[in-house]
Amino acid sequence: MTQATESAAPEKERSGFRTWLSLLWADKLAFFAAVFLLIVLLCAILGPWLLDGVATKQNLRGRNAPPFDLSRGFMMILGGDQLGRPLLARLIVAAGNTMAVAAGAVMLAMLIGSTLGLIAGYSRGRMAELIPRLADVIMSFPSLLLAVIVLYMLDPSVGNIILVLAITRIPVYLRTTRAEVLEVRERMFVQAATVMGAPTRRIIFRHILPMILPTILTIATLDFSFVMLAESSLSFLGIGIQPPEITWGLMVSQGRPYLTSAWWLSFWPGLAIILTTLSLNLLSNWMRVALDPTQRWRLEIGARKHG
Amino acid sequence: MNCRATLLGGATLLALSAPAFAADTDVIIALNEELETVEPCMASQSNIGRVILQNISETLTELNTEDGSLMPRLAESWEDMGNGTWRFHLRPGVSFSDGSAFDAADVKHSIERTVSPDLTCEIGAKFFGGMTLTTAVVDDATIDITSDPAQPILPLLFSTLTIVPSETPMEFTRQPIGTGPYVLSEWNAGQNIILDRRDDYWGEAPVVTKATYLFRTDDAVRAAMVPAGEADIVPLINQNDATNPATDFAYPNSETTYLRLDSSKAPLNDIRIREAMNLAVDREAFLGTLVPADATLATHMTPPTALGADVDLGVPPYDPDRARALIEEAKAAGVPVDTEITLIGRLGNYPNVTEVLEALQQMFADVGLNVKLEMVEVAEWVEHYSKPFAAGDKPAMVSAMHDNNRGDPVFSMYFKYACDGLQSGICDEELDKLIADATAATGDARAEAWRAAFQKAHDLWADIFLFHMVGFSRVSERLDFKPTIATNSELQLSQIKFK
Amino acid sequence: MKKFLFKRAISSAISLLLLIVAVFFLSRLTGDPTDLYLPVDASQEARDNFRAINGLDQPLIVQFGRYVWDVLHLDFGDSIRRARPALEVVIEAFAWTLQLALITMFLVSLAAIILGSLAAFKVGGFFDRIATFFSLIGAAAPDFWVAIVAIVIFSLGLGWLPTSGTGTPLHWILPIAVLFIRPFGLILQVVRGSMINALSSAYVKTARAKGVTPKKQVFVHALRNGMLPVITVIGDQAAGMLNGAVIVETIFGFPGVGKLMIDSILQRDFSVILAAIMVTAIAIFLMNILIDLAYAALDPRIRY
Repeated sequence: MTQATESAAPEKERSGFRTWLSLLWADKLAFFAAVFLLIVLLCAILGPWLLDGVATKQNLRGRNAPPFDLSRGFMMILGGDQLGRPLLARLIVAAGNTMAVAAGAVMLAMLIGSTLGLIAGYSRGRMAELIPRLADVIMSFPSLLLAVIVLYMLDPSVGNIILVLAITRIPVYLRTTRAEVLEVRERMFVQAATVMGAPTRRIIFRHILPMILPTILTIATLDFSFVMLAESSLSFLGIGIQPPEITWGLMVSQGRPYLTSAWWLSFWPGLAIILTTLSLNLLSNWMRVALDPTQRWRLEIGARKHG
Repeated sequence: MNCRATLLGGATLLALSAPAFAADTDVIIALNEELETVEPCMASQSNIGRVILQNISETLTELNTEDGSLMPRLAESWEDMGNGTWRFHLRPGVSFSDGSAFDAADVKHSIERTVSPDLTCEIGAKFFGGMTLTTAVVDDATIDITSDPAQPILPLLFSTLTIVPSETPMEFTRQPIGTGPYVLSEWNAGQNIILDRRDDYWGEAPVVTKATYLFRTDDAVRAAMVPAGEADIVPLINQNDATNPATDFAYPNSETTYLRLDSSKAPLNDIRIREAMNLAVDREAFLGTLVPADATLATHMTPPTALGADVDLGVPPYDPDRARALIEEAKAAGVPVDTEITLIGRLGNYPNVTEVLEALQQMFADVGLNVKLEMVEVAEWVEHYSKPFAAGDKPAMVSAMHDNNRGDPVFSMYFKYACDGLQSGICDEELDKLIADATAATGDARAEAWRAAFQKAHDLWADIFLFHMVGFSRVSERLDFKPTIATNSELQLSQIKFK
Repeated sequence: MKKFLFKRAISSAISLLLLIVAVFFLSRLTGDPTDLYLPVDASQEARDNFRAINGLDQPLIVQFGRYVWDVLHLDFGDSIRRARPALEVVIEAFAWTLQLALITMFLVSLAAIILGSLAAFKVGGFFDRIATFFSLIGAAAPDFWVAIVAIVIFSLGLGWLPTSGTGTPLHWILPIAVLFIRPFGLILQVVRGSMINALSSAYVKTARAKGVTPKKQVFVHALRNGMLPVITVIGDQAAGMLNGAVIVETIFGFPGVGKLMIDSILQRDFSVILAAIMVTAIAIFLMNILIDLAYAALDPRIRY
């Protein structure tokens, strides 16, 4: 992927890519975060296709095999689960569904929530009053009830889980965007642009959106873990994704009874959730600095110092 | 440093002294769910039963779970008067905790209340459905109870019916009054229930003076409460937590797990497929892994202590080759063996249920059957379990666990096997007749009749039986108490002694 | 101000009504409690009788009309399961949840705002890295893990705290600590991000040029301006907690509204679901009004 871009890109863009890479290298933590996310992404795409057979092969007599024991083969290095299936293979295969649910729900919620928030914050008409009340209603509608209703009438499939989780996460984006817009629209430069007769669309996209995007992204990266764990509790209550489908959240909740006897069952998928969240956040912090002209020097100094 | 040491010391002292407060003859019991009501006519629900049954409210008769015999409790004796009428001679000198004397009028009122349509009592719906009860008070200490149709096991049924005073209103009470050795002294919703010993109990005074019931849903926390000194008895812990032989006891819990096949839909309507599915299951592989090693392989619906359960049906052998051959044979005969069969499981039905069903799915797949697992919450599961089956035209099997703690197969067989049985996946005229005969039979003939019914259901490969299950309790070492098969539905404080 | 509150009260009441209508009809689409309440072998007669007693045999619209009529007479119906007035059951549980949420959110907000501001003051510094790292791990760790491990260490191992339950102040420490972790991580990150923005904005720079001390820059000038999104996220987290902290309540045997709500949903105990939603919704609406008032108080340019 990287190779292709580099060789096909013209000279100028190529140096642009290099600059970005060196900016990334300047922040070591962000660099490793990017590498980790790339691996997760590869697992998510290739895992189900390559390892499905291994990940579902049961061995009742070798259940809860402890980790770091190579005598059972490399796939068992992280141990075996409650049906003797290799945890490593299951983690890799589960990455697909997990990423689909988390990314799908977060992006859908962010898109709908921020759009509604922009409208609510910017317009001074009826919408400004109506949309926040919609957020109130969603916020007070218990997410568990919503899940029971949707999944009772439809299948507990990946798509429907995304729908449920996205709806419950809309208010936080809606309300944050609205709060930010309320403040930003009063700032000098926005007022100036309005007075000068700039079209609404231009004001929103050129002046307001860039100001509020960092906060929205911070919430979105953290929401990733929230959604993964929410999906886990849905599965636990019996209204989420159910076996034989797998996600990290489901693995965490299935490992729960073994917390004191076979910790690895829920530890590894939990660790995967933590690392993914950590990486996303480190990367988004880096991106915030790298994209902000007034902050970028921090990385450039670092890049020069480390050569 | 000094300050810290004091703090630590204080904390340790506090922790050490905590069990000391509860010492002597008080016990703390941690249940797995909060009690929703303390209504005596709901005492067939396991947690309500563990608090109320025989502690606060007593019954006319009591089942001895060890040998299946019936013991006197509030009735000293009883006799069959013929035509469906039984005469009960009540124990004299018994009083309720409110001071009023116990007599035949109380029994009459308790029966009317339990079966009243205004109240929906679980005991009424569960044990007295489909019959009409009429009572005639002979004198204060004698009552005639007539059932239509006649019930050969009427005295057994009365081991479930809790007796309340005749003043009890026709609505759910929050102040249960009974003849038992304990009285409800406090109920702090969500937090605890406290029972205190009565002084004027008719029988021998029990040792335990006060019992506090706490509610903790989380398995790990409940199990941790005994070593932490916060509870003396936890009637139900997860098998994964039962690791300490000094405190943890396995007991048969009268539950039987099985897969109910809907034999009205192809390919499950073919007896070869049903046999093949039975042969495809490696039951031994579950014992000591996903299912406790103390569980036993099941061949029929009732626990090994029930009437007629000594029938020797033989556990289907694990024989995947024979299973494949049977499926091949059925396929050649035009049975659509490739049709997807849904396996419906209920979340949290018993420990490891999801894993057990995942393993079963794999075993069915190994012999070439197309089984899809679906785990659902209880409300959805009930719609699959009881008629009309929610799966509609599609072939389905339902994973279920059946509890028969009353020792007579009548509580199981009609519902699970008769054509009109609500959870019956089979309809066979001959089986219907065998069940009807056994229901009416008395004496030794009754056990024999039930054996015949078990045999017929087995010959039809009506279900896939799995295990007679066990439960685990954790009991503090300071107590002298061993859980039994009865622990699943009651917990008699009078049976608890101290070491 | 008065006009704002009046308008807001009206629109909130309409929202509440919409919410109740939606919940009433949607929840009834998930089946009725008859089969769950009665033993599986109950006869059809018993089932019909149960439906008739509880009015479940009526057409949905009749049931709704009756419900509205009763609510207008301040009767929120009885819990089928508990045979008690639903509102009584809910208020009992909500009192526990409210205390838990208030204490936890107060501690979380205080800690997150102070530590987040400090982290933002020197972006990429040692303190920033440490605070970010641990808050993120906390925010992403499954809460039942944290809860069980905490019980194993502090109750079983050290014997300092009770495993679960209510009664003494000691009983509150573990639930609050576990509940604290996730919102703390999230709010700290939002404070940090928002403060970085505010610190680089024109007026803080002006303040800096005027020679205002660094501490004052952060805590007076930037904080005030960066608070809007922070308050919003605090509100969102508090709303989540008011709706009940199911996992924490379940593990620690805490008789709160979250456990009550999930039990009622799974048992289809409709009057309790509706009463619980009404009580929590009113609390959440009130909180959102306070938040909007706080916007205007913090930023004089915002007017409603």
